[in-house]
Amino acid sequence: MPIVEPESDAQVMQRVAAGDRKAFALLFDRYHASVARFAFRFVGDAARAEELTQDIFVKLYRNAKAYKPTAQFKTFLFRVATNHCLNEVRRGEYRVTHTTTSPREEEGESGVEVAGPEGDRPDEAVAGRELERAVGEALQGMSERERAAFTMCRFEGMAYRDIAEALEASEAAVKSLIHRATLAVAKKIEELQAGTLPARSRA
Amino acid sequence: MSCAFEEELTAYVDGELPSARRTEVEAHLGTCAECRSTETLLRHTLASLAALPEFKPSADTRRAVLAKVDALPLPLRERLKALLRPSVLMPSLGLAAVVGLAVVYTGSEPQGLDVTDAGALELAANLELVEDYDIVGLDSSEDLEVIEHLHELEVQ
Repeated sequence: MPIVEPESDAQVMQRVAAGDRKAFALLFDRYHASVARFAFRFVGDAARAEELTQDIFVKLYRNAKAYKPTAQFKTFLFRVATNHCLNEVRRGEYRVTHTTTSPREEEGESGVEVAGPEGDRPDEAVAGRELERAVGEALQGMSERERAAFTMCRFEGMAYRDIAEALEASEAAVKSLIHRATLAVAKKIEELQAGTLPARSRA
Repeated sequence: MSCAFEEELTAYVDGELPSARRTEVEAHLGTCAECRSTETLLRHTLASLAALPEFKPSADTRRAVLAKVDALPLPLRERLKALLRPSVLMPSLGLAAVVGLAVVYTGSEPQGLDVTDAGALELAANLELVEDYDIVGLDSSEDLEVIEHLHELEVQ
């Protein structure tokens, strides 16, 4: 039997631009997890990340005609996502709250949760939460552009070139943003592992 | 850290350096203990990040987003296309003929047409204009105005 190639993102996006809502639902299913993860890492708050994720997808739909099929779809999507997150945070509607809210505490309230690894053990779960908190604090301490570049690189596996396009920056600038952000996270993880990170949930 | 190569180390660990520069950094790492230590720290950090708990997005988002998109008005082009579907258009044309006959025979305005039928009637009466809309693929009210006056332009 001939193998049917799945429709490319660019092809699906062209249907979205023509007002095809089924095509939009297909793109949502392909990229929901990525966008939600990005928004969560960016604001550090599950409920706000949920609002941002919804807004980003509605914006994607409304601006579908601006997409040129020559560009990689994921890069276009993350340009929409980054611009939206940066604008909203600057407008003060979504305050970054890495220090006051851990994802575990948001569970149940917002329907968003951070799952433990497979075969979770209590000590592993605690270690995971502490790591989450250390990374969250590091993210909160860096600039918005460093946070956006770091998140796209480390959690979405995007290449520097694509991150540069999403951020409308040069590759050299992105290299520098990611380097500084990674060192900041490294420092927090070092502190955690050396036992010098100020404890809040540790008991 | 003061070493000139230090800024390059994350890109090196990420495999993002051009091969010539990569070779230079590798050579440097053989001679600079400080950069070797930073490289180890960076690699250790990336391994630690892989151990972060997996983030699970809300399953409710899909419903909310699709509802928001459904609540948006369709582009005009799509609305016109929907009105031009044969299932809408053909009965409308039939109705237009009947209404026309009724007007001829009774000499009075027809009563009791519902809004949909009235819309379809107007569409049937302006088919030529609708075809122009469809050809141009208009999106805005400015476009609508231009199209409405296209025939005047042609006459001039």
